[in-house]
Amino acid sequence: MNYPVWDVSFGSGLLIAIISVVHVFVSHFAVGGGLFLVLTERKAYKENNSQLVGWLKTHSKFFVLLTVVFGAITGVGIWFTIALVNPSATSALIHAFVWGWAIEWVFFFLEITAALLYLYGWKRLDKQTHIWIGWIYFLTAFLSMVVINGIITFMLTSGNWVESKNFWDGFFNPTYWPSLFIRFAFSLSLAGLYALITISRIKDSVFKSFVAKWSLKWVLPSFILLPIFAYWYVANIPVELFQSTNGLMATATQYATLISIFALITFLLALVYYFFTSKINLLFSLLILITAFVTMWSFEFIRESIRKPYVIANYMYGNSIYTESSDFDQGFSIEKINENGILNTAKWTSIKKIKKENSIQAGEEIFRVECLSCHTYDAYRGVRNRLIDRGWDKNITSQMISRIEHMQKGIMPPFAGFESERESLSDYLHNNISQSELSAFKSGKGLFDKYCQVCHQYSSDDPVFFVLTGADREEVEYYLTDLQGMNDLMPNLVPNSKEIEIMMDWFPKQFINQN
Amino acid sequence: MDIQTIIPSVDPISLPAPYWLFKLLLIVTFVLHIIAMNIVFGGSIIAYVAKLKGKTNDNFKKLYSDLAKKLPTFLAATITLGVAPLLFLQVIYGQYFYTSSAIIGWPWFLVIILLIIAYYGFYIIAFKGSENNKYLGWILLLSSFCIVLIGFIYSNNLTLMSTPQFWSQKYFRDPTGMNLNLNEYTLIPRYLHFVTAAIAVGGLFVAILGVFKWGTEKDYAKFLINFGGKWFTYATMLQFVVGILYLIILPKEQMMTFMGENIFATVSFLVALTAALGSIFIIFSSTKNEDPRKGIYIGTSLLVLVLVFMSIMRDSLRDSYLSEYFNPDLFLTATQWDVLGIFLFLFLGGIALWIFMLKVYFRKPNFN
Ligand code: HEC
Ligand code: HEC
Repeated sequence: MNYPVWDVSFGSGLLIAIISVVHVFVSHFAVGGGLFLVLTERKAYKENNSQLVGWLKTHSKFFVLLTVVFGAITGVGIWFTIALVNPSATSALIHAFVWGWAIEWVFFFLEITAALLYLYGWKRLDKQTHIWIGWIYFLTAFLSMVVINGIITFMLTSGNWVESKNFWDGFFNPTYWPSLFIRFAFSLSLAGLYALITISRIKDSVFKSFVAKWSLKWVLPSFILLPIFAYWYVANIPVELFQSTNGLMATATQYATLISIFALITFLLALVYYFFTSKINLLFSLLILITAFVTMWSFEFIRESIRKPYVIANYMYGNSIYTESSDFDQGFSIEKINENGILNTAKWTSIKKIKKENSIQAGEEIFRVECLSCHTYDAYRGVRNRLIDRGWDKNITSQMISRIEHMQKGIMPPFAGFESERESLSDYLHNNISQSELSAFKSGKGLFDKYCQVCHQYSSDDPVFFVLTGADREEVEYYLTDLQGMNDLMPNLVPNSKEIEIMMDWFPKQFINQN
Repeated sequence: MDIQTIIPSVDPISLPAPYWLFKLLLIVTFVLHIIAMNIVFGGSIIAYVAKLKGKTNDNFKKLYSDLAKKLPTFLAATITLGVAPLLFLQVIYGQYFYTSSAIIGWPWFLVIILLIIAYYGFYIIAFKGSENNKYLGWILLLSSFCIVLIGFIYSNNLTLMSTPQFWSQKYFRDPTGMNLNLNEYTLIPRYLHFVTAAIAVGGLFVAILGVFKWGTEKDYAKFLINFGGKWFTYATMLQFVVGILYLIILPKEQMMTFMGENIFATVSFLVALTAALGSIFIIFSSTKNEDPRKGIYIGTSLLVLVLVFMSIMRDSLRDSYLSEYFNPDLFLTATQWDVLGIFLFLFLGGIALWIFMLKVYFRKPNFN
């Protein structure tokens, strides 16, 4: 609304996802790995094990090269990317939490310095000082996580901040503590998992088993604790948000399944490796890292998916529109945009008035400001294919968009703007779709999928079947020709008479034995 | 398209501290960042030259490997010190900065990729610097090139940020972010101004290395001071030409900022100019002294002064460009005293800890 939308052809959402997931996978290692280094070093001195010290030198080089370079730069990269993709939300976060970021920066600075001194210090420092630098490293790395965790969880559960605008209300929000525990436990397990990479190159098999057993001891307990923390985390997420992982939203459900499977696989692999430590080679260590990566990836994706339609819960939608109208919304709230029109409100649209000849171009601009933050036209989460699969023509699309906030249990913000603007949007969406490409449905279930399934489920608990199972044919016809008369939350769909005929036969028979 | 209506509105959330504090922090952290950046930028170029000359001359060979070992650390410093001004810039100039970044989206994103390449390149050089491998020269060149390019992209973004009148034509021609700000005629002089400064500072850094080696390897130290001093003096002399060119090519209104219109900016300009002249003179003459160390110290202090005042000028220039659109009085402020207090406490404590760590690290090795 306020800022130009950077039109990334393959999807800005995908770009953010890639950068943040790779960053997270390394930055968590940077925290847990720090503790791993100091405790392993202490163990080595205590047991007078010079072989272990030798391996640690190699491992710490790997650690620093990965975390200080790749970890740090992708961290800056996330900043660059979110500022490019969602400037309004970035600006809000920075205004609310700039001192949090500033504090994090102090820790970051100390962390990087300590990491380098630790690496170069093998040659210069006595044992005690070296460990001491290692502790500074770990503490500052951990504290950066403590700070950044407040801001990330704030986006999902903004707590009382929306009313109070108080820093601490936003920072210590409902998911703050469980998320911190999840992240820390995961970071400890990553410490052990990444270690397998340098371990796999050890020649002496007795020593190799020894280090590998020690490293895997960092993995197994964390993976036992993780489900407990995850349960705690979920308990603090508002039920409405979490519903979407329960089959109501395809992506979130998919990732919820993935995370359970891959967490289990990672745990089992770690267990197997524990008993065959001398067999660990590079391939095996990469394999378990990949399964851990998928686990982490799923966690971040679930968080991102259930946060939708918001970018900052209860404050700002993914497309930068404020959820509530207020004196400070600058006209960028749903309510005000409905009054003034989206083209007039959004600063970065070149068309302000729709005419017949510019309707498609206007629609493209509307798509850009309202939908592009989560979709593309025909790539990542492409709308074109969804319309084709659903068999929605221009008219159905426009009607559906008028109630878009109910689709998939509220994963999208409401459409904001005039009816004419919504129609332009549909014109644009259908400009490259021919009628013959649209899927055609002739069965009752097919028509249910076409017209109703974006908001309803094929299940006996769904209100559709409360009302229509066992109903008279005439009753069904009556409802289907006037959905809005039945409930105004529904779009004004008008299936043609052939379709209604089929549905009149189909609906009353569903779940007939259960209702 | 009307310029005023296209400029994004100020974020409705109040500033969590007074405007001046952000400005102060922005300038202070920017100076620190720019010093580290100059050392990497200038240092990598000088390292390449030293590598070429090192085939026949041992001093150059040594200089190359000394620089190569330090480049990754200074790049780390550049990045960590750069994060802070980037943060404070977003607080007070977000409307302009986010917009120009989005308009040049892809080049701006490319910075991250270039940085990763440059960084790993420098590490390869640092770890294998002394080996006689012909690929190392190419890797160094590639890394330097990445740094040069990053600087150029920054210049593009920061000039575009200050000129909202060019935004809409660029954006609407290509909303996919494949833009630069090449039609900005001050871009090249401005960029050259930064490049020349970086080379000068890189040269001075070499001379400072010489000062540190004075006690242990006097001949090598003398070589460093002479060689570095020369780079510094020539580059800074050239800078007078580039800088004046940049000044007169600026739009009249912006040029006048430094010619009396804005007293603060004008004084900064005069101070910077005098200090720069002073530093050239002192450093050049000290390279001829028996013991040049004192001269280098004084010259370096003067140069830091130049960088501080140049950074102030840079800021005044931005405000002059934006004067029609930007009014800091419009910011709402609700200072978060408690969090600010924690930050200042940690900031000062952090500096103390940082100095302490370095002190411990650099004291004589002591193995038990
Ligand atoms: C906050 C992010 C967000 C915004 C903004 C958004 N969508 Fe969506 N949309 C989604 C997600 C997530 C899905 C579900 C995709 C999935 O399950 O993979 C979706 C699904 C859809 C579908 C397919 C529904 C189905 O089940 O077949 C359509 C059509 C659609 N969106 C259109 C739009 C249009 C048009 C806009 C702009 C007015 C828009 N969306 C804005 C996130 C968003
Ligand atoms: C864009 C979303 C959307 C679509 C498409 C949609 N509905 Fe609904 N429908 C809703 C919402 C929201 C409710 C209210 C649910 C509630 O109150 O829990 C609802 C409620 C209902 C109810 C219960 C009415 C009541 O108030 O008791 C029936 C019956 C129903 N829908 C039938 C259908 C049928 C049949 C279709 C397909 C032809 C359909 N709906 C398509 C969103 C939709």
